Amino acid sequence: MIRINCPYCGEREHSEFTYGEDATRTTPDNDAPMEEWNKFVYERDNPAGEHIEYWHHAFGCRAWLKVQRNTFTHDISWVGLPHENPEAES
Amino acid sequence: MSGFRHGEGRLGDATLNFTFDGKPMLARAGDTVASALLANGVEVVGRSFKYHRPRGVTSSGPEETGALVTIGAGGKADPNARATMEPITKGLEVFSQNCFPSPKFDLMSVNGLAGAILPGSLFSAGFYYKTFMWPAALWYKFYEPSIRAAAGMGVPPKVADPDIYDRVQSFCDVAVVGGGSAGLSAALSAAQSGLRVVLFDEHNDLGGQLLNEANSEANADLEQWRADAVAALKAASNVKVLTRTVCWGRFDGNMLAAHESVDGKVRQNYHKVQAKKIIIAAGAIERPLVFGNNDKPNVMLASGARRMLNHYGTATGKTLAVFTNNDSAYQTAFDYADAGIKVSAVVDSRQYPSQALVDGCKSRGITLFTQCVVTEAKGWQAVRSIEIADLAANGQSVSNRRRVSCDVLAHSGGWTPQVQMAAHGGKPPLYDKKIAAFVVGDQAPDTYSVGAAEGENGLLAGVAQALHAAKAACGELGKEAGPIIQPPQDRDGATNIVPLWSVPAKGKQLVDIQHDVTAADVVQSHQEGFISVEHLKRYTTLGMANDQGRTSNVNALAIMAQCRGISIAEAGTTRFRAPLAPVSMGGFGGREIGKHFKPVRRTPMQEWHEKAGAVFVQAGMYLRPQYYPKAGETIDDAYERETEHVRKKVGICDVTSLGKIEIVGPDAAEFLDRVYINMFSTLKVGKARYGVMLREDGIVYDDGTTSRFAEDRFFMTTTTAKAGPVMAYLERCLEIDWPDLKVRVSSVSERWGAMAVAGPDARATLTAAFPSVDFSNEAFPFMGVVHAEHNGAKMVILRISFSGEMAYEVYAESDHATDIWQTIIDAGQVHDIVPYGLETLGALRIEKGHVTGAELDGRVTLGDVHMDGMASKKKWFVGKNLKDREGLVHPDRPQLVGLKSVDPRTPISTGSILVTDANASAGADKQGWVSSMTYSPELGNFIALGFLRGGKDRIGERIYAAYPVKGRTVEVEVVSNHFVDPTNERVKG
Repeated sequence: MIRINCPYCGEREHSEFTYGEDATRTTPDNDAPMEEWNKFVYERDNPAGEHIEYWHHAFGCRAWLKVQRNTFTHDISWVGLPHENPEAES
Repeated sequence: MSGFRHGEGRLGDATLNFTFDGKPMLARAGDTVASALLANGVEVVGRSFKYHRPRGVTSSGPEETGALVTIGAGGKADPNARATMEPITKGLEVFSQNCFPSPKFDLMSVNGLAGAILPGSLFSAGFYYKTFMWPAALWYKFYEPSIRAAAGMGVPPKVADPDIYDRVQSFCDVAVVGGGSAGLSAALSAAQSGLRVVLFDEHNDLGGQLLNEANSEANADLEQWRADAVAALKAASNVKVLTRTVCWGRFDGNMLAAHESVDGKVRQNYHKVQAKKIIIAAGAIERPLVFGNNDKPNVMLASGARRMLNHYGTATGKTLAVFTNNDSAYQTAFDYADAGIKVSAVVDSRQYPSQALVDGCKSRGITLFTQCVVTEAKGWQAVRSIEIADLAANGQSVSNRRRVSCDVLAHSGGWTPQVQMAAHGGKPPLYDKKIAAFVVGDQAPDTYSVGAAEGENGLLAGVAQALHAAKAACGELGKEAGPIIQPPQDRDGATNIVPLWSVPAKGKQLVDIQHDVTAADVVQSHQEGFISVEHLKRYTTLGMANDQGRTSNVNALAIMAQCRGISIAEAGTTRFRAPLAPVSMGGFGGREIGKHFKPVRRTPMQEWHEKAGAVFVQAGMYLRPQYYPKAGETIDDAYERETEHVRKKVGICDVTSLGKIEIVGPDAAEFLDRVYINMFSTLKVGKARYGVMLREDGIVYDDGTTSRFAEDRFFMTTTTAKAGPVMAYLERCLEIDWPDLKVRVSSVSERWGAMAVAGPDARATLTAAFPSVDFSNEAFPFMGVVHAEHNGAKMVILRISFSGEMAYEVYAESDHATDIWQTIIDAGQVHDIVPYGLETLGALRIEKGHVTGAELDGRVTLGDVHMDGMASKKKWFVGKNLKDREGLVHPDRPQLVGLKSVDPRTPISTGSILVTDANASAGADKQGWVSSMTYSPELGNFIALGFLRGGKDRIGERIYAAYPVKGRTVEVEVVSNHFVDPTNERVKG
């Protein structure tokens, strides 16, 4: 069972959370061309290894969190708020 | 019969009654079903999966492949239970499986013969795949039913299980899997550190292979060591000992999953244990040898036969023979001989067993055959003799066949470490030539494998590994493991095995006894090209079901490796996956079954609805009134009456299930402008507006009404279905996308009870109910919002309509909602107000042409539902960038239309396909579908909403709604989706 260390609540089981989305993407500008939006909405990398993603603590404090998860081992190496980054921690 | 009671073993004195196929039998406390059946002389316990071959007890542990029985009757029946793992309880009912009329005389055993006669064999490797290639028509009529009748095991009970299953979630520092000498030692040592320790063992009695030892004077000190260790662990406050608990999987984050069997009101506990360190001391299990008819009842694993005698006080036969390729099986022969049971032969495939073993046989008068093999077990139903033969030096042929009499054959093909648990968390196991088995390769993090599970069969050597692991595990957690008293005796772990993977022999040679997979099937799999171990498994069904490859995997891999001319290490193993042992579904369900499967939400007015005789329906998680039947009314009568009454006078409907979200802050209007396609910053305080949200890809997400309570305060309603997702979406937008916006959202769905009052008399009703509120069209126009109070209860009243009638939605604080509802009902009496349910709500909205979840199904665009005009051109909003993609604005897209059946009393089924040809076949051009239907009392006609290709321009056309599943085709006329009040005169009046 994956466990996620919520900055607000402490370490909790992943069944309290719902996966949100890839957190490595940058939202295009509002007036960016359709092609750029199309890419943003439909194209995803599928890395084997470290990945940064958003999770929602839906059955806890309801905060949206940024999580660094290894897609290969499911190890979670870092959890932060949506506007933090793992690099800043180390 | 051959088995009988012999000695005491470690059984208790109490006698227990049980039945086998209804026949009364006696057992002793501590017996398993297997030991009790053997003690009662039962040889044939059941029939095999495919060939219906007679099967008996093959072991005394979890590796049981023969004695699979059904335990209990009725809802308590537990099919495919391993008789070796089920303790006898008072009055237990045990049933044989897969045999008719009885295990001894079974009509289906002809399947086994058919395999020898039919070319290709009826049930040989890959039979399922090949059978599918025969004429398809025959499959349904003949093969499928006859194969189903012939193959299979226990029958699942048809009635609900009355027992309770629970789930237990816990944490520990050190988890020890397996309670043999190594596991006991590791747990004892770790426990002294003060850390929390959990010990799992699937048996009732702890001790592992110590329980195979004779409970004799010579072993008294060893038995005392075992008893002391168990007592010390059970007494320690920081140790949890879980017996009869199979630890069947290891998951992310060091979570161990285990099923515990208990006697009592609760039948099983499903444990999820979060461990910091895991010591795997799961032991090893003995492999069978592969020779002719090696599945015959009374062919047993040597260790199993030994434990039956030494632990369960049950001799497995009157004359024992032993067949082995290693040292360990000799002890079975010696213990039987020492217990006074005749041992007719030890057949060893090796040329030179050690002198100690040779002398051991000699001193007991046991005839030893070396460089010799058993080619076939003989006997009609159970073993009565064996055929042995000399094995050529190259192992490829045999000569000098002769008979040896015996009524039980104990065999050993070596030991397989239980590496599954270790493999769940890490790399694949590696082949170890010395013990001719796979051992743990790289350890997973936080994991230690010790003792026989690591390939170390020696007693003291295994204990030393266990203590080492305990020290390391505790040390990494900052604590110190303590010393323990060493076992007073040692047992040499060297088996001196010389692999013997199969014997050149006649008769069926079973590799997977439980699944009826033979050595010939493995060879056939190779011939037909399925040579990788994963393909071999799927093609032959080897290692599936209960066995999970425990007894069968290594032998099969070795035979395949031989066929391919490669080493076993190169052939590798299949991937180990949880569960490694059969576990019941009940444990996973726990108490969340039936009504507790998911929560039921009730509205504040639930009791009122019940008293009014409402029929309820589950809508999302909510229980909602579907209709309120009067005496003798059908559902159709009721909703047609309710619908007609709302259109003529007035009705009231519970709409509490709508999602309600408050949006507050100086940037609240800006926020709504971004999430809705239409403008909300221009909405005046005290007004409501209908809004639509898109997803980023431009598809319609949700709709609802949002009112402005103050400059910085809005009140949003969502559809019932999307209440949760929309809330999470808004939170996401604010926290991730636009953290600069000063806005807070909070769900107030539970705070307000909601009711819709609709109909021409709605205004008069509400005026009478709440005289302090001015409901006149001037003071309270369409889309107006009024805050009010009644008897101290706060209310928000919105003048909005979902029905095409003049209507209001009254939101009242939940605690007072029933009072407010009753007040409206009382005031409406003069207008004969009726409560109406979900059916009428649906009928009214379909007549008006409003969309709901049935239409907004995640595929439709704004244009599809004629709302493209609503999208603001003055601002950006979510979905704006992609909503006008070529495919999303194509004029041929299916668009929302109304449909009227040409014959007014013919219903149009929801889900029908729209076609232009009345006799359309499956390949016809499908032009759309029907999403919602109702009878419209207003029109006196069945009507529907649907999506039709280019529907906007096809009003007046006559087409067909086809429902091929029921063979129904209805001629319909395409009309506007606004059947009623198309110009909004009523709602605004």
